Amino acid sequence: MSGSNVWSRSREKMRLFPELFAQCTMEATAYGKCVAATTTSRQELKKDLCVKEFEALKTCFVNAAKKKGR
Amino acid sequence: MILRVLQRLNPDPAAVCGSSWCRILSTCSRVLQQRTGPGSGSGRVGMNVFNREMKRRQKDWSSSLTDWGQYDYLREEVGSHVADRVYDVARTFPLALDISGGRSYIAEHLSKDIVERLFLTDISEKSLKQRRQSEIPTKCILADEEFLPFKENTFDLVVSSMSLHWINDLPGALRQIHQVLKPDGVFIGAMAGGETLYELRCSLQLAETEREGGFSPHVSPYTAVTDLGNLLGQAGFSMLTVDIDEVQVHYPGIMEVMRDLQGMGESNCAWNRRSMLHRDTILAAAAIYKEMYGAEDGSVPATFDILYMIGWKPHESQAKPAKRGSATVSFGDLSKISQPTNTDKT
Repeated sequence: MSGSNVWSRSREKMRLFPELFAQCTMEATAYGKCVAATTTSRQELKKDLCVKEFEALKTCFVNAAKKKGR
Repeated sequence: MILRVLQRLNPDPAAVCGSSWCRILSTCSRVLQQRTGPGSGSGRVGMNVFNREMKRRQKDWSSSLTDWGQYDYLREEVGSHVADRVYDVARTFPLALDISGGRSYIAEHLSKDIVERLFLTDISEKSLKQRRQSEIPTKCILADEEFLPFKENTFDLVVSSMSLHWINDLPGALRQIHQVLKPDGVFIGAMAGGETLYELRCSLQLAETEREGGFSPHVSPYTAVTDLGNLLGQAGFSMLTVDIDEVQVHYPGIMEVMRDLQGMGESNCAWNRRSMLHRDTILAAAAIYKEMYGAEDGSVPATFDILYMIGWKPHESQAKPAKRGSATVSFGDLSKISQPTNTDKT
C-alpha cells in the first residue's frame, strides 16, 4: 500500500507516543504504583480501581499532545 | 485427548504421508475449542493455535520494511549460538537443512568443511530473497515447517532457529524432522519459550483488567522448558540436551518493544488474539511496564528465554545405557568405602 492511508497516518501518530509519554512521568508513576500495589496486596484488580490516577495521566498526555500539535 | 485417540488409530503416524496426517489433525482441532492462555503453556494444547497464513504475511511485511536490518539483532544472536553448537559436534555434514531459516542466520557462521550443502526453507518468499551471504552452496525452498517436502533419511543435520514457537503441531513437526534425518543425524534447534516477554504480557494484562474489566491474550503461548524434553523424546530423538539462555534486551519503553517485535516478524498470529488495543490501554500498559519493570536509567527490559535443544536420531554406534543386571558393583557398597585405598570390588 503506497501513499497516505489510515494505517500510515495512525503509525505516524503512534510514533509521537514515547515523546509525549516522557512528559508525564509523575502521573505515570502514580498510576503504575496504584496498579502494581494490587499484585502484592490482597486487593484484586478491578475495572477503574485506579481511575483517578489514570484520568490525571490521560489529561497530562492529551495536553502534551495538544502542545506538540501547535 | 484427541491426539492420543488418533495415535491409537494410527500407531505409526510417521509412516503416513506427512500432509495427510496433518490434515486429520487439523479437522479435529476445530472440534477442540481450546483457548490457550497467555502463560507459558505446552505447545501441544490446541492443534490449531496459530494462523500460519498470517505469519507468512507478517514475515513478508517485515522483510519489505526499508530498515529491516535494524530488527535482526535477536535472530543474529541466536543464530550464532546455534552455529556454535554445530561446531561443537566434531563432524562434517554433507547435507544440512535449515528449517524456517528466513534470511539464514546460521549458515554465515559455518564453513564448507562443517556443512557441505545446505537447504534453506521458509514460508516467506521475501525473507528467502534477502538471504545473507554464506560460503556454503545453498538451495532455497518455499515450504512450511509442518509439511516438510523431503524424503525420509535425507539429511545429516537439521537446524532451526527462532521459528518453532510459531508451529501449530510441534510434536508432529519434531516427528517430521526425525523422519528426514539420517540415522545418527542430529537436530539442533533454538526457540523462544518459557517466560519470554512476561513483562509485556503482565503489563498488558493488568492494564486491560484495570481499564476494560477483562483481558485477552496478546502474547502467544510458549513451550515450557520441562515439556521440551518430553516432546523430543516422544518424537524419537535420543541423547537429548536442552538448555535455556535468558536474553534481556532493554528498550526505551513499551512502544519500542512492540515496534521491534513487529519489525522482527514476531507479531502475534494466534487465532485467539484480539485485533485491537485501546489507546487508553496502551497508555496504561506503558505506565505499568515502566513502574513494575523499569530500570534506574528509565529503560525497560524485555526477556527472551531461548531454549536450545540437541537431539540425535538413534543409531547402533551411539552409546546406550547398560543392560539390566549387568552391574558388577552394588550401590550398597558405597557405605563400605571408608578410604579410597580400602575400596574392595565384590
